[in-house]
Amino acid sequence: MNDLAKANHNLWKEIMEEDCGDIRHCFNCGTCVSGCPAAEADNPLMIRRLVRMVLLGLDEKLLEDGTPWMCVTCTACEEMCPMGVKPFEVGLAIRRWQTRKDETYLPLATTEIFETGHTQPVEKIGELRKSLGLPEIPPTIAKFSELLKIFQAMLKETEVVKNNDYMFKEGNKK
Amino acid sequence: MNKYGLFLGCNMPAIRPDVERAMRLAIPALGIELVDLEGSACCPAFGTFPSADEIASLAVSGWNLSIAEKEGVNSMIQCGSCYSVLRMAREKLVKDEEKRERVNDLLKKAGKYFEGKTCPRHVIDILFNDIGTEKISQSIKKNLKGFNAVVQYPCHSRFPSDVLGFDSPGRPRMLQKLVEALGATVQSYSRELQCCGGAGGFARQAYQDALKFAKKKFDAMVRETQVDFIVVNCITCLMHMEKVQKEFSKEDCEFSIPVFDYAQILALCIGFDPKEVASISIIPRDKVIEKIIGAK
Repeated sequence: MNDLAKANHNLWKEIMEEDCGDIRHCFNCGTCVSGCPAAEADNPLMIRRLVRMVLLGLDEKLLEDGTPWMCVTCTACEEMCPMGVKPFEVGLAIRRWQTRKDETYLPLATTEIFETGHTQPVEKIGELRKSLGLPEIPPTIAKFSELLKIFQAMLKETEVVKNNDYMFKEGNKK
Repeated sequence: MNKYGLFLGCNMPAIRPDVERAMRLAIPALGIELVDLEGSACCPAFGTFPSADEIASLAVSGWNLSIAEKEGVNSMIQCGSCYSVLRMAREKLVKDEEKRERVNDLLKKAGKYFEGKTCPRHVIDILFNDIGTEKISQSIKKNLKGFNAVVQYPCHSRFPSDVLGFDSPGRPRMLQKLVEALGATVQSYSRELQCCGGAGGFARQAYQDALKFAKKKFDAMVRETQVDFIVVNCITCLMHMEKVQKEFSKEDCEFSIPVFDYAQILALCIGFDPKEVASISIIPRDKVIEKIIGAK
């Protein structure tokens, strides 16, 4: 049972950003859920439920809720919301709040992008690429090591890298 | 504009480079010049920086957008989520002066700058609206007559339509018309517009549920059509719609519907070598490919 007496009434201020629309306008119609692929899971992503949790200030409950991470990112919810709320942006904003509060939420793929510029090892299938008539290494950041250093220097100026610097390592995979 | 910057993303060059090859051959054959966006990085995917730090995310998108801008080209994107990430990032950077300034402060130190002068476009949009089905029909040497195809619209190219839409969001038809331009019959079915379920966290965090979700789509497809192959235009749809069929087949229901990216069947119809443009798949595509090559 959630104790509303312990609720954090400033939670919406901590989480919501301009791009999320005005979540106070949500009347819980469920349109966002009806078109959501991840709402079909046994432990469903129910974005309208998350919106209510934010408004009620249920921060402990929200911090341990992993459903925002099930979003397929199709943004059908944003297309359909009759009240101009941006449920997809709300989900991302909740993910960012969770990541700020608890570093174990930080997606490991962010560190891969920091290390290599990509989420996949684009430089490791040279033989296959060559056999198709393609350059062995694609002309992306994977091909230009000096650019990767500049890219990493840029990211080191950002909050997420500063706050979790032990996770972001240069030169690991190169 | 007859020149585009080919934005590769991560999955296509790393996992399905035959699609990259198909694009690099087929698109120029239709009179469009493709230039490389040298030094481009991950878009970055919604599950990465956009889920951790918005300014960092916009800086990475800004990095990518500024490369195309410096070349003076719009970028051409196949991957649905790359397209959506970059269009939505561009929208935020153009409309929000404060975010733009913060991002440009980061980009300037990297020797880059974002103004918003060019715009990412999805390859369906370019093929349909810039090149046109007539030109495509005239450019092919083989055709798909006698084939029944179904199409899979990438959700990321549909929503949010006010930011990134180019087709009707509720009744998209462009991919269907592009496939029909190659001579195939495109059959509609009740779950045609259902998302493949492969993007984002759903398939990672609730794999069995994502399989059940995809199974509904495939059941409807085989019941309601005489499908010979599926045409997608998103790297995630391509990989996921093959992978789920293999999973279904582990449980006594045999599914073996070949899946092609549009650029791949286009390249085959123009006459390019299947070993280069359609050589990587989980579900065998040989029979369809042989029939296309044998067609007059």
